Amino acid sequence: MTDEPRSRRPINRRAYRAAVAAFTIAFAGGIVAAIGYWTDETGDLLGLGLAAALIGIGFGLVAWAKYLDLDEHVVQEREPLTVSPDERQQLRDEIAASKETVGRRPLLIGLLGGAFLSMVIGFVGPIGSLGPKPRGQRGRTSWRAGTRLVTSDGTPIEVERTTFDQLVTVWPEGRVAVDDSQVVLLRVPPETLTARTVDGGAVEGWVAYSKICTHAGCSVGLFGVDNRQPDTLRQLVCPCHQSVFDPVDGARPVGGPATRSLPQLRLAVDGQGFLVAAGDFDRVVGPVAWNEA
Amino acid sequence: MSELAASETADRKGGLVERYVTSVTDRVGGGSLVSKVLHKVFPNHFSFLWGEVALYSFLVIVITGIYLTFFFEGSQERTVYEGSYRPLQGVEVSAAFDSVMRISFDVKGGLLIRQMHHWAALIFIGALAIHMARVFFTGAFRRPRELNWVVGVTLLVLGLAAGLTGYSLPDDLLSGTGLRIIYSVILAIPLVGERLVYLIFGGEWPGTDIIGRLYPVHILIIPVLIGALIALHLGLVWRQKHTQFRGPGRTEHNVVGERVWPSFAMKSTGLFFLVAGVSTTLGTLFHVNSVWLYGPYDAGAATSFSQPDWYIGFLEGSLRLFPPWETRVGGYMINNLVYSGVLIPGVIFGGLVVVPWIERRLTGDQAEHHLLDRPRDAPGRTATGAAAIFFVTVLFLGGAQDVIAGTFNMPIASVTTILQVLAIVGPPIAWFLTWHVCRALRRRPGPERTERAGAVTRDVDGGYHGFAAEQPAEPAATGAGD
Repeated sequence: MTDEPRSRRPINRRAYRAAVAAFTIAFAGGIVAAIGYWTDETGDLLGLGLAAALIGIGFGLVAWAKYLDLDEHVVQEREPLTVSPDERQQLRDEIAASKETVGRRPLLIGLLGGAFLSMVIGFVGPIGSLGPKPRGQRGRTSWRAGTRLVTSDGTPIEVERTTFDQLVTVWPEGRVAVDDSQVVLLRVPPETLTARTVDGGAVEGWVAYSKICTHAGCSVGLFGVDNRQPDTLRQLVCPCHQSVFDPVDGARPVGGPATRSLPQLRLAVDGQGFLVAAGDFDRVVGPVAWNEA
Repeated sequence: MSELAASETADRKGGLVERYVTSVTDRVGGGSLVSKVLHKVFPNHFSFLWGEVALYSFLVIVITGIYLTFFFEGSQERTVYEGSYRPLQGVEVSAAFDSVMRISFDVKGGLLIRQMHHWAALIFIGALAIHMARVFFTGAFRRPRELNWVVGVTLLVLGLAAGLTGYSLPDDLLSGTGLRIIYSVILAIPLVGERLVYLIFGGEWPGTDIIGRLYPVHILIIPVLIGALIALHLGLVWRQKHTQFRGPGRTEHNVVGERVWPSFAMKSTGLFFLVAGVSTTLGTLFHVNSVWLYGPYDAGAATSFSQPDWYIGFLEGSLRLFPPWETRVGGYMINNLVYSGVLIPGVIFGGLVVVPWIERRLTGDQAEHHLLDRPRDAPGRTATGAAAIFFVTVLFLGGAQDVIAGTFNMPIASVTTILQVLAIVGPPIAWFLTWHVCRALRRRPGPERTERAGAVTRDVDGGYHGFAAEQPAEPAATGAGD
């Protein structure tokens, strides 16, 4: 039921002209895109041409609909969605009849259910092949007593190096880029370290911590020094969720969502004066499972 | 026999369109269906547009995505990049990253398609969210549409999963970091976390399997599920008919609007082209996810100001804003990530699912509703929605707390604290403010004033024409409960 006969309405000339213009632009856009593909290395002409073609067609169609002036108010009745009493009774009868026929053999129903369940269990095996069982290996990394600390390009670290307050990412020698063994190494004035940090394996101001954030596992890649007196403030920061750790106090969490300190790597010096590990970490690095607390 | 003969004569008589249509309908017995479909009525309101935008951006995603699969390689095999992007030449990368670089630099037009794919995905989730807000604030989720609401929430979750998996595929530095976080959250789940994460990733982080596994999930499993649910969603809309706002001639028992053909179909098809065109424009002018700037995934590296796609922002914010709490019981622990990465998202999406049943419990309203509320008509519902949106917005801002701190030159810790406080006290304040605004607005005149009542025109002969004159207005129904 429309408002009135179409013929009596004024023609929307503006919409008609808009549709003509839009379709024309769309037509040109396609050609521009085709030319752009062959001539333009950046691809911008291709993109803009296609965009003009698509938007032109879209706008033209809407304008055409406007020109037709189809602002209709057609009324359609809704059919009832609810089940009528008759249909409900029919369903009830069906269920009752099914109980009589199929439901008469509880043994078969029970066996079918049991068989189905055991079949499902049978398929669990192949799903288990998707990944290994946990074997308590997460506590071990590639660090061993005597393993040299090397930078990403394989350079070992001399204990005499006097670059204070500079963060270096180091790896076990020969195991560069093994994810769970990434370590941040830092030299600070030895007197600033707390007793437990020294006990944890600091050597002449050198401290090394697992680089994997204990919160969600990102690499703790930011180091900041605030030299304003009286106290110099040093912070290790994880760039993902802004957890902050204190490198002079056992990398204890001092801000952000992290709850556990970064495990410290016990350091030593080998015969040639290079930094080595004195052993593996004493606990799981990075985020932990529920039974690894 | 005579019927067949008649139909054959008609075949020869009719025009081209008619002959093609009848050649099908004659064989499947769908003659009456065609005009029924063409005459189906859809109510018209600008806010009904967003579901269509979501649908059409999904189409753009599928079409551009198919193109990308012809080039992408879902493998973590190591290779040396030798493409035409100089800064990374000679760098060891994964095959996945290499193929994305090839699409971006060495496949002519490939970058455009990739950018369209990404932009359409950003639009898809945005349109879903707005559509969902529209359905919520107008009460369109009420009986009989509870099922379709749940289908919609599932579509949103699947959309987020599609975005997350797609974002992870290029194996660049940012996506590797994102996967590392997901790995940590799954690992933290009590009881099953470690086993589960090994099943998904094929072993300890980073392993060599995850990209190859995400690939079929991203291009097959999730899209098929989304497609099936969209079909169910639209099927239900078709069957139950669209809701409509109150207005003259509109009742719970009818639908007033325009017919599918030609008005609705024409405008809606136009909308598809507009959505595709906007994706193309944005993809051409603004590059997103420029993986060549991030570089390949590299153990030990992470960048600051790393932001996920916008729709993951609230999850990121949840991880960043949740205080450093964890619960230890004996030798076991409920990890911080269980709260911020599992519980909070679980409450958000679980809360969305049960919306229709909670409202029914609170209002005791069991009736069918086909007429929509204006948000002010149900102050309680509107206020609850506003509070929820406020909370999620605070989480979203939390996901960019370092950027905010940098922009306003404030310490990150202060920004975090402010947002934490806002997340707790903000929603109740938003609730009360919205509730009062709704109550105040409700005292103003009813739908007859604010809805278009239908224009009355006078022609040159002095006759009056108008919808309102032919269809006397229904008495305005009172709003649903608070």
